[in-house]
Amino acid sequence: MALKISMGQYFAAESPIHRLDPRAKVVAGLAVMVSVFFIHTPAQLALGLVAMLGVVVLAHIPARKVVESIRPLVFVLLLLSLFNLFLVNTGEVLWTAGPLRITTDSLRAAWLYSLRLVVGVIAAALIMLTTTPSRLTDAFDAMLAPLSRLGLPGHELAMVFSLMLRFIPTLVDEASAIMDAQTSRGGALGEGSPIKRVRAVIPVLVALLASSLHHANDLSRALDARCYEGGAARSHWHPLRMRGADWLALLLVVVYFVTIVLWG
Amino acid sequence: MDRVAALSHVTLRYQSGAQALEDVSLVVRPGERLCVLGSNGSGKSTLASVLCGLLAPDEGTVTLLGERVFDSGRAEPIDFAAYQRARRGVGLVFQNPDDQIVTTVVDEDVAFGPENLGVAPDEITVRVERELRRVAMMDYAKADPTRLSGGQKQRVAIAGALAMEPQVIVFDEPGSLLDVRGRRAIMRVMGRLAADGATIVHITHFMEEALEADRVIVLERGRIVLEGTPQEVFGHADKIARLGLEEPFAARLSRRLELPWTCDADALEQAIAHRLDKTRAKLPSASNAVPYFDDSPSNKPAIAAEHVSFSYRTERKALDDVSLGIAPGSSVAIVGQTGSGKSTLLRLLCALEVPDAGNVLVNGISTRRKRDRRKLHGTIGYVMQHPERQLFAETVLEDVAFGPTNMGLSAEEVARRCRAALDLVDLVGFDDASPFELSGGQQRLCAIAGILAMRPRIIVLDEPTAGLDPRGRQELRWILERIGEQGVTIVQVTHNMDDAARADRVIVLDQARVMLDGSPREVFCAQTRPALHDAGLGVPTALDWALRLGLACQPLTLDELVACLDLSIRPAQSEEV
Repeated sequence: MALKISMGQYFAAESPIHRLDPRAKVVAGLAVMVSVFFIHTPAQLALGLVAMLGVVVLAHIPARKVVESIRPLVFVLLLLSLFNLFLVNTGEVLWTAGPLRITTDSLRAAWLYSLRLVVGVIAAALIMLTTTPSRLTDAFDAMLAPLSRLGLPGHELAMVFSLMLRFIPTLVDEASAIMDAQTSRGGALGEGSPIKRVRAVIPVLVALLASSLHHANDLSRALDARCYEGGAARSHWHPLRMRGADWLALLLVVVYFVTIVLWG
Repeated sequence: MDRVAALSHVTLRYQSGAQALEDVSLVVRPGERLCVLGSNGSGKSTLASVLCGLLAPDEGTVTLLGERVFDSGRAEPIDFAAYQRARRGVGLVFQNPDDQIVTTVVDEDVAFGPENLGVAPDEITVRVERELRRVAMMDYAKADPTRLSGGQKQRVAIAGALAMEPQVIVFDEPGSLLDVRGRRAIMRVMGRLAADGATIVHITHFMEEALEADRVIVLERGRIVLEGTPQEVFGHADKIARLGLEEPFAARLSRRLELPWTCDADALEQAIAHRLDKTRAKLPSASNAVPYFDDSPSNKPAIAAEHVSFSYRTERKALDDVSLGIAPGSSVAIVGQTGSGKSTLLRLLCALEVPDAGNVLVNGISTRRKRDRRKLHGTIGYVMQHPERQLFAETVLEDVAFGPTNMGLSAEEVARRCRAALDLVDLVGFDDASPFELSGGQQRLCAIAGILAMRPRIIVLDEPTAGLDPRGRQELRWILERIGEQGVTIVQVTHNMDDAARADRVIVLDQARVMLDGSPREVFCAQTRPALHDAGLGVPTALDWALRLGLACQPLTLDELVACLDLSIRPAQSEEV
């Protein structure tokens, strides 16, 4: 019962997008994700999709990788489509069956509102695919730095984020080992009534919690031994620096954002 | 500075009241290679933490790198500022490589320590490259650490510690979770460091590793009970045995041969070779001094794999056209280096995975159908790597009862089986203890009892002795012997060739295929040694000695080697008889 997840899957390549400053990428990605909610017409949607496709090509990411990152969300998007299809009531009625009703507006909402989310998902996937987790952490560290000035643990939050990215694969492996162990001891994972299923998961969670605590203990020993004291006195091996290309990318994103918003 | 670290009358108790260190006085000198031995729970790791400045004791004084960090005679015993300064000069590498790597790219992880010390970027570049080269990981500078083998990860951890340019480096059982090749690589790195004049404190469960040290100390219940050169320490054979440690192979051999006692392999080899030379002419050529035991022909195999292939996702094949049959009641050892497909083979045999091509049959039943697979889980017990990590229940008894209860047995039957299983692993009286309170070795036994309580006819173990101390390893061997006597088929993956040589049969996997399959005597011999070496494997210690000495016989155990050498060294006596 091997679990595999594709979170934080960096795709190594040499491209202008890979070379961008991670802060620029995070800001640009957030802007695109916000812009999604201003998409109300097919023309806007087309612009969004074309723009994303352009970036995918620029980043030398194979289409397969992008599709893989959308796949887990297909079910959610379909569900959203269904909701929109039956819950939007305005517009001309096309079809009715009892309380269910499909209208011109609901049909449009069903496909448009699901597809516009794909634009945001591709943007998020592109950040993860073109940025190593370490660079991403640097970006968060830099962006959370103002918090430190207010006395909030900005650097520490970034460190926690980094450790999370680092340990997710380890914990996933462990969870799958625990599930194997219980399956081979006759544990009924994923079988029987919902109550049975939930009960079968409890031993897995307890074992996983115990091993997480163990990791946490070891990890604090490792961080102490390597003199991690957070923040101030640290140096950076590759300090972040915004270059012309980064500013250009941000400018293009601003143009894109304004176009989407004004075009609606 | 004539002392890197000095502990004087140090005592440390844990909150639970357990005594971890008791009146320990110790000086670590610059350029010294100090080895610390002791069974599980003797206080070795606590000592490592104190030496690294990560743990302050309750009594005594501690001086690290010239800083008096702890002095129970002072009003404020702990000097936090001094601790912080001292820690910058001490490196630590410990057991679990996974928990020491904090970032997601190898070279950035090595840079993490220097960054914390505020080292300038150009200087970090120099250090990262230098240390990755030292541990032979330069080709993996941009790799994702989670994709590396345990040994490679541990080398990255060492590079990360060295990049901080510590004045002393503490290795806390760095090889206990690694395979033979990984461990050897760590020892090579340590040897190079020692040659460069580094100060090293090395904590280990492997006696052969202690032989490389300048000085050895042995801990028991938090006290230093033996101290001296390896030769001096291992000279106390009785005491070493009583402490749950074992003598190095050379020491045992020299004593059995009644030669002047030594634990130095090279010296002993010379001494033997010297006596052999005189008698070599009289050696019968190619005589096999040891009787050959053949495998009894089997009727119906307990487990059979027929042309099995398997791969995870799209990666290269994890198993490629593997066929084997395992006789009921036999014991089989599967060996092969990391990534050869051993663990995958076990998962297929235990019906946790279904082959892409070919068939796996357990007691004649194919693992293809889901309903059959469920039934098989009661027949075949699977003890995975580090099974103690899967403990979950509130009490030992509850954990052990999990399997039999799932089988739908009556409460009395479950209780009876649990009792028998706990008896077998010698954990009687721990019924109501929390499994998390047991020692590491006991946790392993508890997890194994949970499998044994299901009374499987076949038991499959993945490196059951990994990470245990010598006493724990010996106990586990006895338990497996007892299970074997009950007619249970035992299949185990092992990194230890001496363990493999004790099985009825040895299967060698290399690059997803079966490379060798036969009795230990067929698999381990002079002819196969080069191939085994290429596959990253060794031969049993006794055979290694015989081959190095150029003996005509091919012993697999110490007894056989002694018998063989007795014949070779004293042929004159046998002629008289």
